[in-house]
Amino acid sequence: MSLSFLDKSYNAFHDDQSFEEANSNTLTLYKEPGLVVPPTFNNAGFRDQSHEIAKKFAKGTTTLGFVFNKGIVIAVDSRASMGNYISSQNVKKVIEINPYLLGTMAGGAADCQFWERYLGMQCRLYELRNKRRITVSAASKLLVNIMYSYKGYGLSMGTMVAGWDHTGPNLFMVDNDGTRLKGNRFSVGSGSMFAYGVLDSGYRPDLTEEQACELGRRAIYHATHRDSMSGGIINVYLIREDGWHKISSTDMDHLHWNYVEDKKKEIADRNKL
Amino acid sequence: MFLMRSEYDRGVNTFSPEGRLFQVEYAIEAIKLGSTAVGIQSRDGVVLAVEKRLTSVLLEPSSIEKIMEIDTHIGCAMSGLTADARTMIEHARVETQNYTFTYNEPMLVESCTQSICDLALRFGESDKEERGMSRPFGVALLVAGIDEYGPALYHTDPSGTFVRYEAKAIGAGSEGAQTTLQEEYHKSMSLQEAEVLSLQILKAVMEEKINSTNVEIASITVANPKFRVYNKEEVQAIIDQLKA
Amino acid sequence: MTTHISPQMASSGTQHGKFEPYVNNGGTTLAIPGKDFVIAAGDTRLSTGYSIHTRQSSKVFQLTDKCVIVTAGMQSDASTLHKTMHARLVHYEHAHGKQMSTEAIGQMLSNMLYGRRFFPYYTFNLVAGIDSKGQGVVYGYDAIGSYQSVEVGAMGTGQSLIQPLLDNQVAYKNHQLVPSKELDLERALSLVKDSFTSAGERDIYTGDSVEIAIITQEGIKYETLQLKQD
Repeated sequence: MSLSFLDKSYNAFHDDQSFEEANSNTLTLYKEPGLVVPPTFNNAGFRDQSHEIAKKFAKGTTTLGFVFNKGIVIAVDSRASMGNYISSQNVKKVIEINPYLLGTMAGGAADCQFWERYLGMQCRLYELRNKRRITVSAASKLLVNIMYSYKGYGLSMGTMVAGWDHTGPNLFMVDNDGTRLKGNRFSVGSGSMFAYGVLDSGYRPDLTEEQACELGRRAIYHATHRDSMSGGIINVYLIREDGWHKISSTDMDHLHWNYVEDKKKEIADRNKL
Repeated sequence: MFLMRSEYDRGVNTFSPEGRLFQVEYAIEAIKLGSTAVGIQSRDGVVLAVEKRLTSVLLEPSSIEKIMEIDTHIGCAMSGLTADARTMIEHARVETQNYTFTYNEPMLVESCTQSICDLALRFGESDKEERGMSRPFGVALLVAGIDEYGPALYHTDPSGTFVRYEAKAIGAGSEGAQTTLQEEYHKSMSLQEAEVLSLQILKAVMEEKINSTNVEIASITVANPKFRVYNKEEVQAIIDQLKA
Repeated sequence: MTTHISPQMASSGTQHGKFEPYVNNGGTTLAIPGKDFVIAAGDTRLSTGYSIHTRQSSKVFQLTDKCVIVTAGMQSDASTLHKTMHARLVHYEHAHGKQMSTEAIGQMLSNMLYGRRFFPYYTFNLVAGIDSKGQGVVYGYDAIGSYQSVEVGAMGTGQSLIQPLLDNQVAYKNHQLVPSKELDLERALSLVKDSFTSAGERDIYTGDSVEIAIITQEGIKYETLQLKQD
């Protein structure tokens, strides 16, 4: 990793490293040379405090992605919270890496934003050097290698890398532990259980594009309905051979009342019979 | 003690008493052995054209690459030791990508050229851990691009100097080519005129007869600021317009 | 976060300070972008715990002719960040022969904050400026560099008092019936002033005075509004 400014030694206070070890490679970076640190120096406060600050922002989330015959659907919510406070209701949780690749955002907003942007840069360099687009598999591998190299440093990222390459549609799930899974259906975030319920029951590979997008939207809607950490706007993307397309951006509240109306009509129709 | 010229022309770190760095001058000479490359800035874009020396019928022409993309909005043509150019272009690609990563906007063509020249000037540097560059690069580049200020064409040489040109030729045929450019170039030139002029010049200086495989041509236009190397058919279409 | 050495530690045999590098110095910042203007404001109170250290500590820092940053959180990190940004901006101008665009500043700050991912700046920033299209923009950040352009941004101890109301009054969020109309500078400015006066009434960390930067294509004008001194 050539990001010298992101030197891992900044994190010398991490976990149960001994003080001597931590002191030797970090304090000098931030303190005036010659500053004497007490030998019984206790870094617990720093650990808690810095960790807490880094963790503030996007925590609760629902994101999903699935592959079907015509392509890939990506759907996400847009809420970001700091504890009980909703810090934003319109976060862009789909990161447009390039016209053929999308990444989703769950966990630390900054971690996802930064590393997926960095991935975008690496993909572009790959393109310039090799005169062809990077595969989704290779792109997700680049990302997971970074995650693995920072394993234990407290990064927080649960992302899906989705795209269309010469092998067809591909979907990978990558997280901060260094996990990288290829699959046809994923949901990540605090509301993922709710989304999975809808997604798994409605999924068929032969869905039309409209049906697939609606399934994604509905799955996220149900997650925002039951998970208080998810909410806001529901964004739906569709990936085809010609790259990704943004399909819709709908306030979950509008969806809710539309679905309520639909249900009322359905009941009325059934009663007529 | 007075050293002979032959003693000053070895090290890249030593000036001669007349104030010259011979190795750098020799490197500039090396370019004059290279194939000719022409760059023309026009009203609506920049054109780059190079000659490819196909020394054998068994040689695969597409494996010779003398025009390369640096970023979407910048490209370059080379003459001299093309192997050196690859190092410089790799550097320029990383620099432009890093710039975009940092500032979320495309790098200026001049800044990109500057960063190439910063690298070109690093010869003679070395420290214990890292082996530096032992000699200057033996290649000249024509850097063409479009940024917020419009089309731009720069010429870089092994001394790390860069100069902006409206039209410039480098390589073996550069002297004759530059004279023709001086005569034929005018500021209101269209891109099509520039394309034809660049190949007309190559045709005049090339030893081989010009065809769609032994020249390479690329351009970037204000209307579509994406650097692009032409395919065989496009090259042939321009050759067809050349005066006999 | 009010004491650095806890009483238990002081009374026990061995005395050692817990390394707590972060203090929240309180205060509120606010920024509102308009069609051809942007307003950024911050109060000037600086406290630690229940003590007010000064009533004239600025949170507004001018970056270019058309861009300012307002920072809530910890004063020492904020001033270091501002100085580092200033150095980067001066260097950029020398290297590239132009002033950095507001969009570029937005991205650069994100990367600078993320560069301290493992020892973050305890700062919550709003970058307000005129973009290359001549429109007002505000970027809101978390402490480690996640950022997005916002329709209205409030940060700091008064955030939860101001943000929901301005979402409604500036971004026209959650209106069921009222059609949204374009926000003009006059109304934006009075909203800023009212927001701070109101926040000052209910937040112990917000008060003393507000510095307001009004940025238009013509340049940056500053105004100061006195708040209650308690």
